[in-house]
Amino acid sequence: MANETVEIFSDEEKDILQEIMNIAFGNATADLADVVDIYVKLSVPSVQVIEIGALPEYLRTTIKTDGTSNIIEQKFWGNFKGSGLLVFPGGTERDLMAILEDQDREDISNIQMAALEKGGLLEIGNILIGACVGKVSELLDTFVTYSPPQVLQGDTNNCNFLIEQFDPSQTAIVMKTLFNFKEKDINGFLLILTNHESIGWLRKALKNFMDSYE
Amino acid sequence: MINKILIVDDSPVARRMLRTSIPKDKGFEIFEAGNGQEGIDKFKELKPDVVFMDLTMPVLDGYQATAKIREIDKNAIVIVTTADIQPKSIASVMELGAFTLLKKPAKAESIVEALNKVEMKLKKLRENK
Amino acid sequence: MIVSQIFDMLDAGIVVLDRDLNVFKWNRWMSTHSKISAEEIVGKPLFDFYPELNKSWFLRNCKSVFTFGNFAFISQKLHKYCFPFKSYYNSLGYRFDFMQQSCTLGPLRNDSNEIQYIYITIQDVTEIVAYEQKLIEMNIKDGLTGVFNRRFFEPRLEEEFQRHRRYNRSLSLIMLDIDHFKHINDTYGHQAGDYILKSISLLVEKKIRNVDIFARYGGEEFCCLLPETSLDSAKVVAENIRKQISDETFHFKDKEIRLTLSQGVASLAKDIESAEALLKKADDALYAAKNTGRNKVVALQ
Repeated sequence: MANETVEIFSDEEKDILQEIMNIAFGNATADLADVVDIYVKLSVPSVQVIEIGALPEYLRTTIKTDGTSNIIEQKFWGNFKGSGLLVFPGGTERDLMAILEDQDREDISNIQMAALEKGGLLEIGNILIGACVGKVSELLDTFVTYSPPQVLQGDTNNCNFLIEQFDPSQTAIVMKTLFNFKEKDINGFLLILTNHESIGWLRKALKNFMDSYE
Repeated sequence: MINKILIVDDSPVARRMLRTSIPKDKGFEIFEAGNGQEGIDKFKELKPDVVFMDLTMPVLDGYQATAKIREIDKNAIVIVTTADIQPKSIASVMELGAFTLLKKPAKAESIVEALNKVEMKLKKLRENK
Repeated sequence: MIVSQIFDMLDAGIVVLDRDLNVFKWNRWMSTHSKISAEEIVGKPLFDFYPELNKSWFLRNCKSVFTFGNFAFISQKLHKYCFPFKSYYNSLGYRFDFMQQSCTLGPLRNDSNEIQYIYITIQDVTEIVAYEQKLIEMNIKDGLTGVFNRRFFEPRLEEEFQRHRRYNRSLSLIMLDIDHFKHINDTYGHQAGDYILKSISLLVEKKIRNVDIFARYGGEEFCCLLPETSLDSAKVVAENIRKQISDETFHFKDKEIRLTLSQGVASLAKDIESAEALLKKADDALYAAKNTGRNKVVALQ
């Protein structure tokens, strides 16, 4: 597996992508503060090249697939193409809702509350994934379009459904970053999975990016 | 006069981006370190006029390294380079005694501007001696 | 040229806003539903016409699209609608105050790829929401009588049982059964039987509060869960129902039908350790009522 990944994506390309993510996510947090009132701490992003066959195991071990996580998934399309996955621990829905701070929550039933919490998750997911993927795209001199985000229940079946969009003979680039909402003390992480179709374009875009630093 | 510049960043790509954006016609000597601890060691060894410091790094991060370098030399000039430009992050960096902060990716113009400010500061320091 | 035709022919609303949220484009669908023509609104601030949109959620989504170039999806579930348009019809006969809408916001870029405008598309989803409500109703309500079904009732019983026991509150349950219902079916036909079930449901619903949960438990058997109600109060409710039904003359076609109810009442007590036990106790009381002459209320202490 290791030999093949080297062929597909060199260490240098990984380093470039990692730095681009670092810049993109850092810039995104500053812009996020304009949109929602949160202070975000981000970890150093990591870039991994993973064979699709190994992806279920990776997701299973990375995301707690015991049904307690809140997973928001959003696909993006363009030269840069793939899925963003935002994972929050279970029980953080109310706190995340509080970030949005504008829901009229008087006198509503449990059914409505569940719908509101789901709506809140979707909106937070849409903004965070959009901010990070948008900034990466901007640095790579392209732009993407998005499908509506969806909330996945944190079980293994849903991860399988996610994996089905990849061709099992191929590889995915997985970018991961941990984040922490300071005031709310909510930890979560963001995964960006790009599929094989994007890799050719991505290599070119990374080269173009670095060419300006010759 | 600035002679020596030390770039502290764990990402070789980030170091390269910064190195190539620093004007080449001034004859600066540019050194690199891959984490905070290495940065401190090289600072002691090379006595650079200015340090460009990344924040999130393994072994020892940029916050700790900046504080340590300022402890070694209270006049040390540390320019923090970071992509995280949230107001609260900037405030916490400036509290550490950083000279200024450059947003990543740093443009050549903003680097020149920062280095000019460093020159002025160095001049003042020399006059005060 | 072709694109601008589509813009006005599309069966969906399209609005384009500039960075200051002034209206730049307003398609015909929007004029039709808003009764505001493009001439009137183009070039003016959107909030002059729709101040109700000047809310943090709407502003946040606009900002996000301008800043990140992403899309924002404003779901009907969360917001019902963006633009308060009249709701005209829906085939299931539900009434909505306003057209239910699902909206999307996205970026529009100029030649140098900068985001100059944002668009909003507005889709009328009233019909879908009506079907959704119908589905939910079908899932929780009895098709014949329109009262809750057993599938809905049982989890509610469990929930209320847990809640009342936790806070040590009183909770009562009435089981109701139509006396000699088989005889009504045999004598007047099944249609008459159906009519009786419906009529009794309506009469009982008038005798209980909104917070009470009245459900058809099966056949001619009903149950009614009364939160925050002692055994004595529940007995009074049951007695009221019993009297009302036995006094009533039901008219089906040209037939006059008289009938009675037997009822069993039980309340939360220390010895009742589960929702099933409460149900069983009410059922035992009902059985006692049946065995001791019918048309009566029996409460087991």
